[in-house]
Amino acid sequence: MAARTRVADEHQASPEVVAAVFHKVTVSDAMAVMVVEPVGGDLHVSWSNGMAGRLLGYAAEDLRALSFEQLLPSLSAGELRLLLRRERAVTMTLPVRCASGVLLDCSVSTVPAPAGRRWTVRLAATANETERALRATADAHERRFSTLTERSPVPTLLSEQGLRLAHVNDAFCALVDLQAEQLLGTGWLGTVHPDDLDAVIESAAAVLGDGGEDRDGEARVRLVRADGTERTTVIRFAHLFTPGVGAGFVGTIEDITERLAFESRLAHQANHDPLTGLPNRTLLAEHVACRFTPGGSRLACIFLDLDNFKVVNDSLGHAAGDQLLVELADRLRAAVRPGDLVARFGGDEFVVVCTDVTEDGAVALAERIGEALRRPVTLGGVELRPAASVGVTVQTAEHAAAEELIRDCDIAMYQAKAAGKGRITVLDGEARAQARDKLRLVAELREAIEQRAITLMYQPIFSTEDGTVAAVESLARWQHPVRGAISPATFVPLAEESGLVAGLGLLVLDETCRQLAEWDRELGTSAPARANVNVSALQLDGKLTGHVESALLRHALDPCRLSIELTESALMKDPGAARQVLQQLRELGVQVSIDDFGTGYSSLAYLRHLPVDCLKVDRSFVAELADGHPEITSAVIALARSLGLCTVAEGVETREQAQELTRLGATYLQGFSLAAPLTGRDATAWFARQHVARPAVGALA
Amino acid sequence: MTPSAAPPVAPALSLAPTFDLERVVASIDSMAAQRPVAAQIVSVANSEEASAKELSRMLGADVALAGRVMKLANSAFYGMRGRVTSLQFAVTVVGFATVRTMATVALTDLEDESRLPEDFWQVSTSLALAASALAPRFAERPQDALCLGLLAQLGVALLHHNDPVGYADLWTQERSCAGRRHAEVQRYGISALRLTSVALEQWAFPAGMVAPLKMVDDPTSFQGALLRSAFELAGRITDADHEEIPIERVSCGQLKQRDVLPVLDQVRGDAEELRRALLG
Repeated sequence: MAARTRVADEHQASPEVVAAVFHKVTVSDAMAVMVVEPVGGDLHVSWSNGMAGRLLGYAAEDLRALSFEQLLPSLSAGELRLLLRRERAVTMTLPVRCASGVLLDCSVSTVPAPAGRRWTVRLAATANETERALRATADAHERRFSTLTERSPVPTLLSEQGLRLAHVNDAFCALVDLQAEQLLGTGWLGTVHPDDLDAVIESAAAVLGDGGEDRDGEARVRLVRADGTERTTVIRFAHLFTPGVGAGFVGTIEDITERLAFESRLAHQANHDPLTGLPNRTLLAEHVACRFTPGGSRLACIFLDLDNFKVVNDSLGHAAGDQLLVELADRLRAAVRPGDLVARFGGDEFVVVCTDVTEDGAVALAERIGEALRRPVTLGGVELRPAASVGVTVQTAEHAAAEELIRDCDIAMYQAKAAGKGRITVLDGEARAQARDKLRLVAELREAIEQRAITLMYQPIFSTEDGTVAAVESLARWQHPVRGAISPATFVPLAEESGLVAGLGLLVLDETCRQLAEWDRELGTSAPARANVNVSALQLDGKLTGHVESALLRHALDPCRLSIELTESALMKDPGAARQVLQQLRELGVQVSIDDFGTGYSSLAYLRHLPVDCLKVDRSFVAELADGHPEITSAVIALARSLGLCTVAEGVETREQAQELTRLGATYLQGFSLAAPLTGRDATAWFARQHVARPAVGALA
Repeated sequence: MTPSAAPPVAPALSLAPTFDLERVVASIDSMAAQRPVAAQIVSVANSEEASAKELSRMLGADVALAGRVMKLANSAFYGMRGRVTSLQFAVTVVGFATVRTMATVALTDLEDESRLPEDFWQVSTSLALAASALAPRFAERPQDALCLGLLAQLGVALLHHNDPVGYADLWTQERSCAGRRHAEVQRYGISALRLTSVALEQWAFPAGMVAPLKMVDDPTSFQGALLRSAFELAGRITDADHEEIPIERVSCGQLKQRDVLPVLDQVRGDAEELRRALLG
């Protein structure tokens, strides 16, 4: 009673309030409450509310008969005082024995009464039905997730905190060939290649740190298996937060080893020459571009072109040629310094790229390579001593881009080749300037062709029989806006070297036909009967006849109005193919002439079989007439006559030459003194005048 | 491990004449007053609402404890290689339970090895790592198991603090777990493990963490099986004279002998590192 009064005093509660609270506790369905106090040296339940009885299955009287210790079988007698403390409230989770003998997990809270001899004990079952159901559902979710992860073929890591793994699935264990126990905690980091560990930690830290829930981390990582082999993987980290625990991650691993190997094979194939295994032109360009720094001075390219490789191919066959290329590629690899790149630039061309080298060093290396190449090699039982023309370029301040370096060593190689094969040439400033000027000229020539700025002049060709004009020869002219007139002797070879000759040839062919058609319209029967068009050796292919035919059709001309002129050297490059093309032209109805006859090395036997109509006697032989040497001209004319061919003598400069050539039996004459080349418009007027004037040759004769 | 297998108590380990269990239990309360920040962290860290931000804010008020958490987060044990530069990130890396465990270590003065029985931390870290490594086989969280292992011997420290000489003798003479617990009950009326459970319960550690401490002596209890197994492994690692008990028996059949060999290697490798990280 005294204690009750003190409680009331402390809480300033009236006896009515205390009675109300007690009533509430007595009838409460929400909490089970008992009062425990020592009775006869033992602790007994001296009072309990209805809920306590219902929770434990006892009647109030039965509870009072029990020793409190009997309700808490997990506590030894000595430990009961840990629960019933005099100075403080205590809460423990303990199994409480029910009347049925079942142990019910309860949160047992004890509060000592102020006198310290009595305790209020509140029991609350730790889990009610709803909680148990929720936990069962959560457990089911957990099991489903575990099963999913466990059986997933995707290697998966699970960390609940930091980088320490709580779980790895079988797929990851199989990937690294270790047991789960060896991988849990930080064990899995031991499988990460040391060089990739930083990337893993950075990526994981990104998802673990502030704002990690909004981020994904990804790292390409090499994993080292138990047997030491490596697998290349991509590990993707996703943030995983466990309430009350902290931040972790889910990591999924994609093994990309096979894919990378496949891609690598593809990339290798795209960047390497399948025959020699050397980097190809694409990789060479990338390699040089990577190492090129404008203003740098220690990057060098060495360009090698095998001398007489075509001879090997033609005489021993392409297989032997390939064998030689493979052998020389091996020698090149062995001869260069570590870190230098050897690339196959094209057919029999190789490029070596060296960094951190002076010009002297690059030349020394080129010499060493040359020596290595010159060692004998036996192919098909034949011992060869390969040699190469070598161009060397070291980067200078003038090189603005990587490709200029390769281009310059290519030029240097051509200079070496032109100087007599088997040489090493270093591209100097003057040569570079010339080469660049030539490059500019090529660009301008391309533009001139595209814009039809290449014009044609027409030089009349006279018949020795009656002095009439039998034909004209179309002569291409280039009036450069800055450089002035550029000789065909300059721009035609330039067009041939730079792949522009086809365009130039088509331009000449088309313009000639157009002019002929225009003359036909303007001059009628006074128009030239035929025009001779020069064709480069490079045009002498299966397409030539088609081009000629379409030009004739386009301008509605009869094929007999054209004569195609080819040099004898062009015909002798591949006489078999040439014969076929000439035959097609003849069948079309176009005449064929051999230009500059006698200056090359024609096989007369071939000549007999070539379907040609006319031989043009070179101007050099005509000039010899004035020196009293008519022998060659006479022989050519006689040869032509014996083969049933007509002849055109070029470069007729004097009346005497004309008379002599007529005497020797030349069919036609062409020369500056007879008629200079004329523009199309001038030629129109000239032909109109010719119609009423006497023949020019007659005048000369 | 079973009480019946315990050796008889040595005569020297008779009941400590001045030992007052009530006083020891009461001292648990007074500790909180000495390290209020640690006490606050102990009280909130396990809450579902706890956040790294809130915990790091609290930790900031106890520089020594904050420093230990940072050091632990950057230790090889967590594998972060010095990348943890903020306290909040450190809390994330080591986890809330570990922060709470460290706060408990600070609260109970477990950092002072001179006041603890010899090889106390060697046993505790081995116990913690073994429990952590084995946890997945018992469907427990490794991190919770680690914390349980670290704190399981809290009762040992409390007994030792209150009876340094007597407990040191007990510790030295009784090497087996069961033997020690038997001797502790004989001398103090309560085992150290039970005392740990009382303290943890008093500080409102989750029931799941306290229950294994209570059940460890019941060889049929699955709830105590993880801790029992961890004690067995820790004994094998730390005590050259340890008398092995078949792991199948202590683990309620959850483990086979072959399962524990990699765990033993792992624990041996990590224990000292963890001790250094925890104690500095």
